[in-house]
Amino acid sequence: MAAIHILQERKSQIYEKGTEPFAMTCEKHSLAGSVSQRACVFCGSRVVLYPIADALHLVHGPVGCAAYTWDIRGALSSGPELHRLSFSTDLREKDVIFGGEKKLYYALSELIETYSPKAAFVYSTCIVGIIGDDVGSVCKKVAEEKGIPVLPVHSEGFKGTKKDGYKAACSALFKLIGQKEDKSIGKYSLNILGEFNIGGEAWIIKNYYEQMGIRIVSVMTGDGRVDEIRRAHRASLNVVQCSGSMTHLAQMMKEKYGIPFIRVSYFGLEDMSDALYDVAKHFGDNPEIMERARNIVRNEINSIYPKLQEIRKSLQGKKAAVYVGGAFKAFSLIKALRYLGMDVVLAGSQTGNPEDYELLKEMCDEGTVIVDDANPLELSKYVIEKQADLIIGGVKERPIAYKMGIGFCDHNHERKIPLAGYIGMLNFAEEVRRSVTSPVWKFAPRKTGRQR
Amino acid sequence: MRKIAIYGKGGIGKSTTTQNTVAGLAEMGRKVMVVGCDPKADSTRLLLGGLAQRTVLDTLREEGEDIELNDIRKQGFKGTVCVESGGPEPGVGCAGRGIITSINMLEQLGAYSESEKLDYAFYDVLGDVVCGGFAMPIREGKAKEIYIVVSGEMMAMYAANNICKGIVKFAEAGGVRLGGLICNSRKVDNEQEMIIALADKIGTQMIHFVPRDNMVQKAEINRKTVIEFEPSHSQADEYRTLAKKIEENEMHVIPKPMAIEELESLLIAYGLAA
Repeated sequence: MAAIHILQERKSQIYEKGTEPFAMTCEKHSLAGSVSQRACVFCGSRVVLYPIADALHLVHGPVGCAAYTWDIRGALSSGPELHRLSFSTDLREKDVIFGGEKKLYYALSELIETYSPKAAFVYSTCIVGIIGDDVGSVCKKVAEEKGIPVLPVHSEGFKGTKKDGYKAACSALFKLIGQKEDKSIGKYSLNILGEFNIGGEAWIIKNYYEQMGIRIVSVMTGDGRVDEIRRAHRASLNVVQCSGSMTHLAQMMKEKYGIPFIRVSYFGLEDMSDALYDVAKHFGDNPEIMERARNIVRNEINSIYPKLQEIRKSLQGKKAAVYVGGAFKAFSLIKALRYLGMDVVLAGSQTGNPEDYELLKEMCDEGTVIVDDANPLELSKYVIEKQADLIIGGVKERPIAYKMGIGFCDHNHERKIPLAGYIGMLNFAEEVRRSVTSPVWKFAPRKTGRQR
Repeated sequence: MRKIAIYGKGGIGKSTTTQNTVAGLAEMGRKVMVVGCDPKADSTRLLLGGLAQRTVLDTLREEGEDIELNDIRKQGFKGTVCVESGGPEPGVGCAGRGIITSINMLEQLGAYSESEKLDYAFYDVLGDVVCGGFAMPIREGKAKEIYIVVSGEMMAMYAANNICKGIVKFAEAGGVRLGGLICNSRKVDNEQEMIIALADKIGTQMIHFVPRDNMVQKAEINRKTVIEFEPSHSQADEYRTLAKKIEENEMHVIPKPMAIEELESLLIAYGLAA
């Protein structure tokens, strides 16, 4: 097979550990001609706010923006499921010419009457930004008439990258926070930020913290509820997972409400345990909390350890390529894969910053390829050259793995089985083993050259 | 059929000049269609005697896309065909997209087809070409010929020069050409000489100097062109002459817009210092 070439301008965003002095560029706009795996601003906002289950999500724009993000995350709710519907103002030619404000007003009013949501989010798409509909004033008017918060999300697709969409979502959330008081919330309380309850992860994490004696004021945004978010300012700590999407909000909450935040990951035995210990340390004046955390860690690890050992045997020495949205997820995945005896031959992210890549370089083995804002060709190239047995990524990486005839594990929002927490680690290990060792690959032409 | 677009600074008299000239062409027996490309929809009022025109976009909004050609055009003075594109109220929506939609719709409905036997189609475009939509009439396959209405006032000349910059872009891509400047006099000192010099610098001609006459206003109040209202008046002959000059014009150029300093020195030479 002929070698795959890398575009000249992309070379500075790819680094192979050990080959040259470390220098990587990142945090720049995607190169024209390179089919980036990133999504648009609107999509960024949509995925962050989507799991708020008792809110109305109205996409102000042509129908495609709403249709293609319909139920995009499938995030689970323990109650209402209004979030799973995708509403659109269905802007057409004449709305573009004459303006879409009236249509937005009527759509919002009708939807709020029909579904009685606790709040409404109105997403601005590209065309709304161009024709200049005053979405803010329509939201304000409807909020006054209906007596619920109606929040404009300034997510015009052309305004930047997915990261700008996260920011727009955070700004909308920030407006909700502080709207409700609750004096019953005491000192030992926290908000879980950046956990989206795709497969019930938020419930697992919540359960651990509650066992430690800590009250969960809100989860942003997994299994999210408007009223919980409105009183989130009463919590005394924010724990932030998925650094890309929620750090901005954590910072704003720190500035306005003085709530400190710590970064955590709930993935893999090591990081999961740290997430519990770090919170226990924060509430160090109450040693019982740490004691309970230790008990949880001990019990949970004991219950899955024998099974993990067994799985490790069949994965020893297998190679994995990891390409995810935020670099934080990559850190956890590398640790977890190592624990399973696997080698990481490629590690990359869509939105990593210089510090992230510095840390990635430290973590990775010699010969590992580190890549920022990759495209399918580059991922294919390194999967072939490094003879990977598995890709971990999201919906856009799945077909690459299958075309190469190798295993795949979704670590984004295309799944129903939780991968967080201790039970999640076991789920992850089992899924990886099933995919990597599946007999189906005997029938698929393997592109990576090596025969099993 | 010749497709002609009229541009120029807002308030310079584009609609008045266009309609009076079209009246002149109609008198000569030519079949002319006027397409108003301004959301205010006031480009055909004199030809229609003030008849309220239903705009293309209003019709599209109210009746959907099932439109008949006759829903959106009206017969004006001496068989002229009048169409108003229309558009949103000030401050909402996208007027530029409106122009695009409206011209596409006219093409789809066959307003320009052979069977209509048109000699001319005139586009009367909103003064400030603020975005891509307002350049729609001069894109490839649309108007091939542009006349800019100008006066001796500095801002009008400045606007004319700016419009030329736009024309250069479309001339290279699509083949549109500048036919000349029409001076609609504001009785500025040395106006005629100055516009001739301006035309010369840009590489075109002053195709006609239309003197200022209150008869134009008088006719307008009566919702008529001068040619219809007072056919024997000398101002009517001015428009007839302009119509004839356009009919016979063979000078079609890619303009050479001036640098702003050059334009200012021209104004000083002919205006303030003269």
